[in-house]
Amino acid sequence: MEDKNLESILDAYKNKSDETWLMNVMNLNMACIESLQKEKAKSKLNSLAVFKKIVIVGGLLYAFLLGFLVYFDHFRHFYFSFSMSMILLITMIAIITLVKHVVMIRQINYSTNITDTQRKLSALQYSTINIFRISWLQMPFWSTWFWTSRWIHSGINFWVTAFPITLLLTLIAIWLYKKISFENKEKKWFKFLMNSPEWNSVAKAKEFVDEIDAFKNDSL
Amino acid sequence: MSPQPDKEEFLKLIQDNKRIIYKICNAYCHNSNDREDLAQEIIYQLWKSAGSFNDGHKFTTWMYRVALNTAISFYRKENKNNPLVSISEHHTNIEDRNDGAKDIEENINLLQQFINELKELDRALMILYLDEKSCGEIAEILGITETNVATKISRIKEKLKQKFLTINNQ
Repeated sequence: MEDKNLESILDAYKNKSDETWLMNVMNLNMACIESLQKEKAKSKLNSLAVFKKIVIVGGLLYAFLLGFLVYFDHFRHFYFSFSMSMILLITMIAIITLVKHVVMIRQINYSTNITDTQRKLSALQYSTINIFRISWLQMPFWSTWFWTSRWIHSGINFWVTAFPITLLLTLIAIWLYKKISFENKEKKWFKFLMNSPEWNSVAKAKEFVDEIDAFKNDSL
Repeated sequence: MSPQPDKEEFLKLIQDNKRIIYKICNAYCHNSNDREDLAQEIIYQLWKSAGSFNDGHKFTTWMYRVALNTAISFYRKENKNNPLVSISEHHTNIEDRNDGAKDIEENINLLQQFINELKELDRALMILYLDEKSCGEIAEILGITETNVATKISRIKEKLKQKFLTINNQ
């Protein structure tokens, strides 16, 4: 195909006009723009923020339950209160991170340039992975809440059963916290842990960020 | 909170530039329901962002930014699994035309399909190029350099040419 042939197709495309379906939408909106505003919550583009908000509400209920347990125990059972406090602290860090994300999503301005806006949106989406990493850190505390001083000092039983399990869970939690990243996305353990539709959209968001960076930097 | 513009004035500006919405919806949606949904979403986002419009910029530059950002986000959420319109489907739409018009229509449909097959950002670039925007304006809308715009346009055109060649040789 010669260059001029492609140019003539491009010219024909530029002049093509078939806007009948659009006219219906435009007329509808002329009459109903206020009601469109009221439907803001239904906007498909808000679904990322909506998902995060649902997780925040769930997380707050969970944190409230943990806080309730700690408050009524008054550290009478030290290991129980300490474990629940640590789980509560990690949960609150995750919730605060999510709240920050929702605020940032709301602040995204669609009238800024395409690459910057899309990069911010996708980066917020893939930062969900950080919440997941943080959440693993609470795992060892689920194996310490039933410890008692009497059990610890009563002989070898505690040191050959409970303690090694907690130690193992601590090592696994730290390892996962360090290793859960996009660099390891092809590893089997990673695919096993992240096998969900939510993860797929996070992975695609990361790929899109890489694509945007390549798009911006490629001028050779 | 940004002040909202006069409703009638704003809608008139949108009406005057509705071809932008039309082109973007065609490039990012593959069926009529999605196209109408996206057009509504774009109009809603334009209304929502109206306060950010600065008289120092061209209205179409601002409109392209909002509309393309909306379309890309919409596409990434909704349209990933939708199949593209097949070439045979285009053929059935143009059977009744005479030969000359049929060829032109067929080429335009093929071009639309090839544009729809481009990556999201390349597609945005091509929409702007086909609307005869200058390299400077395209660069401003996309947030890349003018050199980058020129390089990418020539690469995409080469890619389109190869696709036409492949189809013609089949």
